[in-house]
Amino acid sequence: MYRYISYSWMAVMVVLVQIFLLDNITIHIWLRPMIFPLIVLLLPMEWRTIWIMLVALAVALVMDISLGGAGLYTLTLLPLAVLRPSVMYLTTNRAVEHGDQTSLLSRLSSRQLMIYISSALLIYHAVFFMVEALSFANPLRLIMTTLCSTLLSVVVAWPIVRIFMSKVRGR
Amino acid sequence: MHRLIAFIKQIYVVLIFLLVEGVAIWCYATSTPYTESKIVARVSVMGGAVSGVATDIKHFFSLPRHNRELTARVAELEQMLQRDWVTELSDSDSLSGALVDIDQLHFRYHPSRVVSMTTGRMRNYIIIDRGTDDGISENMGVITPNRELVGYITACSERYSVVMSVLNTSFGIGGCLTENDYSCSVRWDGGSTHYVELIDLSTYAEPKEGMLVEVRSERMPEGIAIGYIESYELNPSRTAYSARVRLATDLSTLDNVIIVENTHYGEIEALMDGVE
Repeated sequence: MYRYISYSWMAVMVVLVQIFLLDNITIHIWLRPMIFPLIVLLLPMEWRTIWIMLVALAVALVMDISLGGAGLYTLTLLPLAVLRPSVMYLTTNRAVEHGDQTSLLSRLSSRQLMIYISSALLIYHAVFFMVEALSFANPLRLIMTTLCSTLLSVVVAWPIVRIFMSKVRGR
Repeated sequence: MHRLIAFIKQIYVVLIFLLVEGVAIWCYATSTPYTESKIVARVSVMGGAVSGVATDIKHFFSLPRHNRELTARVAELEQMLQRDWVTELSDSDSLSGALVDIDQLHFRYHPSRVVSMTTGRMRNYIIIDRGTDDGISENMGVITPNRELVGYITACSERYSVVMSVLNTSFGIGGCLTENDYSCSVRWDGGSTHYVELIDLSTYAEPKEGMLVEVRSERMPEGIAIGYIESYELNPSRTAYSARVRLATDLSTLDNVIIVENTHYGEIEALMDGVE
């Protein structure tokens, strides 16, 4: 049984950190970390796509309203919700199989989890910055922003993921 | 109705995804003038590309119709050319004018389309979609719109005709070298479908490689190409040349053809029968 209370706490904490901390500090033009995709990425892989999409839509709406995204967060987070199983399979070679008794996420090793989260965040940041810019006039800036922001996001997100997964596995 | 509901149940996730994404794109596009202009420009480019592909596909499927129209136009122009030639001849030369009957054109042209054909046998035939109802009769010549030899008609029904292809071992037609007008005979030996055999060419003809060979026959007007000489040799008795001629047209890709009617053919045939 997946730990929904832990998940809810984690989701609230991530949203608050994103809105009140990460979006309000300016370190460098290339550093714009986004960790809220974790809420979608850490949902049980066994869930049906429609539920994942609805959660992603809810998170994206919160971000759009609170950060003034005007649909940008919805536009970029929903594809990640749909592509999540493919990202998991491509990065860890694991997929949900019929008759699994335990959550797929809880069976991943730390290394596999790190690769999955990093890849998904990289994809999300790349899509987000491309859609935001709507131009390839400055590719260096686009690439550097994507890479640096992803790196910082992973650094910030990894402790949260570890704490969350220890709760999920521990109980 | 049940099937429709079942189908929607199968794809409802995709539909919801596309719907939400569409709304999100619209919201994002209309949020600032910059995004609006960028997204409208992108959509216009994509729309243009899709429209271009659709037009190309449509154009591709309309090619057979265009081919038929072009063949008909070629036939019409051939007819006009013939008329002009006759008129010019009668105007410029009183003797020729006396011999040429302007009202009765020497050749008439009928566009037609290949229904079926063979090229892999010793006796190859082509079936075309014009018959006696269209004024077609036996012994009319058949050429391509580019004025290249195809064969001549050997049988007709009301709506179809059978053409004996140049790729038929029973086929034979008179030819001549364009550069010096020396006559010869052309036939197919049953070998390659790209070559025919030229025989009985005078030893004075001085053939060359690449020389054009045209039809010289009562079935067709002048200027109908048979092919180009690729190699030649004197026969063992050293009385005539024979040559290997590469056909001007690839008969395996034949689609539209033009039937050539010689309005004097019956008269010529009767004359020849009388002589024989």
